[in-house]
Amino acid sequence: MQTRRLVLVLTGIAVATIVVIGVLVVVLVAGGGDSKGSSGTPKESPGTQTPSLPERVQGELRLVGGDPITLDPACASDVASAEYIVEIYSGLVSFDKDLKMVPDIAQSWDVSPDGTVYTFHLRSNALFHDSSRRVTAADFKFSMERALNPRTQSTVGEVYLDDIVGAKEFINGKAKEVSGIKAKDDNTLEITIDQPKPYFLDKLTYPTAYVVDRNQVGDSTCFKGTDWTRNPNATGPFKLKEWALGERIELEPNSNYYLDPKPSLARVTYVLSGSPLIMYENNEVDISPVGINDIERIRDPNEPLHAQFVESDSLNTFYIGFNVKKPPFDDPNVRKALAMATDKELLASNILKALVVPAKGILPPNMPGYNAGLQGLPYDPDQALQLLDQAGGPNVLKDAVLLTSGQGATAGPILDALTAMWKENLKLGFDIQIQAEEFGLFLRDLDEGSFQMFDLGWVADYPDPQNFLDIKLHSSSANNETNYANPQVDSLLEQARTEKDQDRRIKLYQQAEELIVQDSPWIPLYHGKSNALIKPYVHGYTLTPFVIPNLRYVSLSR
Amino acid sequence: MQGLASYVLRRLLWAPLILFVVSAATFALGRYAPVDYVRIQAGARAQPETIERIRDERGLNDPFYEQYGRYIWNFLQGDFGQSVRYRGVDVQDVILPRLWVTVQYNALVLLLTFAIGIPIGTWAALKRGTWLDPFAIGVFLLFASVPVLVTIPILQWLLAVKLGWLPSGGWDVHEFFGVEIGVLSKRIVLPLLVMTLPGVAGLARYMRAQVLEVLDQDYVRTARAKGLQEFTVVTRHVVRNAFLPIITILGFELAGLLAGSIFVETLLSIPGIGAYAFESINSRDYDSIMAIVLIGAAAFISATLLVDVTYAFIDPRIRLGGQAR
Repeated sequence: MQTRRLVLVLTGIAVATIVVIGVLVVVLVAGGGDSKGSSGTPKESPGTQTPSLPERVQGELRLVGGDPITLDPACASDVASAEYIVEIYSGLVSFDKDLKMVPDIAQSWDVSPDGTVYTFHLRSNALFHDSSRRVTAADFKFSMERALNPRTQSTVGEVYLDDIVGAKEFINGKAKEVSGIKAKDDNTLEITIDQPKPYFLDKLTYPTAYVVDRNQVGDSTCFKGTDWTRNPNATGPFKLKEWALGERIELEPNSNYYLDPKPSLARVTYVLSGSPLIMYENNEVDISPVGINDIERIRDPNEPLHAQFVESDSLNTFYIGFNVKKPPFDDPNVRKALAMATDKELLASNILKALVVPAKGILPPNMPGYNAGLQGLPYDPDQALQLLDQAGGPNVLKDAVLLTSGQGATAGPILDALTAMWKENLKLGFDIQIQAEEFGLFLRDLDEGSFQMFDLGWVADYPDPQNFLDIKLHSSSANNETNYANPQVDSLLEQARTEKDQDRRIKLYQQAEELIVQDSPWIPLYHGKSNALIKPYVHGYTLTPFVIPNLRYVSLSR
Repeated sequence: MQGLASYVLRRLLWAPLILFVVSAATFALGRYAPVDYVRIQAGARAQPETIERIRDERGLNDPFYEQYGRYIWNFLQGDFGQSVRYRGVDVQDVILPRLWVTVQYNALVLLLTFAIGIPIGTWAALKRGTWLDPFAIGVFLLFASVPVLVTIPILQWLLAVKLGWLPSGGWDVHEFFGVEIGVLSKRIVLPLLVMTLPGVAGLARYMRAQVLEVLDQDYVRTARAKGLQEFTVVTRHVVRNAFLPIITILGFELAGLLAGSIFVETLLSIPGIGAYAFESINSRDYDSIMAIVLIGAAAFISATLLVDVTYAFIDPRIRLGGQAR
């Protein structure tokens, strides 16, 4: 009786399985035939007929967005938040979509001969969204001091604004205001910085220097009294219409916007959750990034979506970092051995399906100062073996651990491929261990220097080599996790900070980069690219290599 | 019913104590877990001194009992704290809309599970000895055995991408008299499918066992001997009596659904409490985690209490607290 029952239960399961699989096959075959038969018409035509999609407004652009932490420009430290802030708010200067520094609320500016005093002339037609008043120099002074004020509890205020004279005294409570920010009159703002730094204007494009309405923000901090960020009275090309936490963000154009082109979209809706590609194919969004699992399908020229696919360089570098203060990686030969045993070409083309370009140096392509002639450390297993032998043979790597941030059961194809390459090329006879940690723990271990090697990426805040070389590899930088310290590199980087001749400055950075690559505190692995599927009726949308305002250039034809 | 009143009172007196223990444990887990939200949100571009300064100002460096005391003090005054995932938004403003979302579709799932599970279980029991009984149970067991992590992507691909019948996920709301109702959209179909089908198996099997037990009872035999129609026997005497014990699993069924919501909501992008719980833990959103855990504990306490009380009402054989007779 028992066996009979069991057999019948199993039969039930089997039949159900067969039915499910049968349905799948039928759908698959039918679906396949369908797409072949109608290859002339675009594949989305059945979808566009579905009338029940959320009421689409004429001129509405629908995007997939990150779920922001805050829309207070003084507090935003993440890309997801900055993405909206740059469209809603604005500052003195900004980058246009060709990455050229352009006037924004400041119509023009002068720099003193010694390069430390910036005088900004504000335009008089920059109004707040509610049209109640124009932006004055005092608004900028208020906004920047608010970002720096320790009461505001911003993690980024001083990162971007501490070059200003008097900022440190203000943060430490020794001064009531930042002496280096002066509102001369309504139209004139004077900012004095501690040293002539050519990249200072770049830092002003970051949200911390954006203007907020002091009548609205009151004494709110990054953590308390943030209600106003649900309905900010700002100055950017778009206004925040609605922010449904975790669901969607809706923007509408600012009809008072002071720059051309003015926004032409009637509405921008960001969907904050969901699978982007599925929503794109289902005509629920107009633009979607493509992940590694779908990239081969989309790249196939026979794929109908292929024609809607665009790719572009990004300003970032992914790398393996070594703790150069701890054995075994305090020995440069061990670091170099691993670097030269790493086949970056193979990694980029095979594992990452050419979603990236292999990296030779620290700076990504398109970054000013990018050295196309830089050879870097070549892929050379024989020399790698020799170097490792000089350092004591494979056994020095016996206890090496590669720290990574992640929660999955495996470390992912990239790290798996790396450890396999090292094992094979260095004839280790064992795998280098990978330890995956939750992001928070990972950050803590980097802070504390309790790691041997790790993998991480660095994304540009602004297009200047200082943003990579000085911030990541100067011995006294808070963001130098590797503890790398080379006095010669330090001095080159310090000279470059204040060098006014752009060509000489670039040369200094390239020299520093050359030395760094030879010392190998990093194995630069690859530079990521950004990509997207864009519906044919969307015009003027550019993939920008980092967060800059670009929605006002977009228009729709349908 | 005097026994009942004192029983309910005793249970209610226990509730705050249970909640207190739960809150202290959760609070301690959060505070003693490595890394706090200030560090996580500062990301890779952070100055250690700034982070330390913000920690000091936000009281994260105070001793545990001070922080917990402050939390409880505010809590008793109705201030449940602010989210840090959504900076500065009051926790109840983040959580209540999400809770409403989860409650809506979970209630529907529960209803459907019972509506399908009870008849299937009864029918399977009545067909005992034929192939239909294990077959029917087997079909639903298949769905119960496949994790939602597998069924969701398959159904998304099938129903949304291939057939285009349904959106791939998400949550639409329609307003009725100021109340946002999300279950009237066809986006509800996917979550209903993936949660109801596996739920049916457990309930149907339980119901089947109960019906089998009741079928052997003397009163069923008597009813049949009286010459009652089989339909009347089944509905009046069998199902009604077999149904009673099922009520007890209602509370647990609800708790199970809430736990499952974490996956379903994350994968189907439903802005409910489950997805938010997962996110809060990852971002160390202390006040949100506390609120979610306390709401969950309170819901569980009241559900079990309600079940026990209902049970005492409908089945006079039950004597609560071992009193009387």
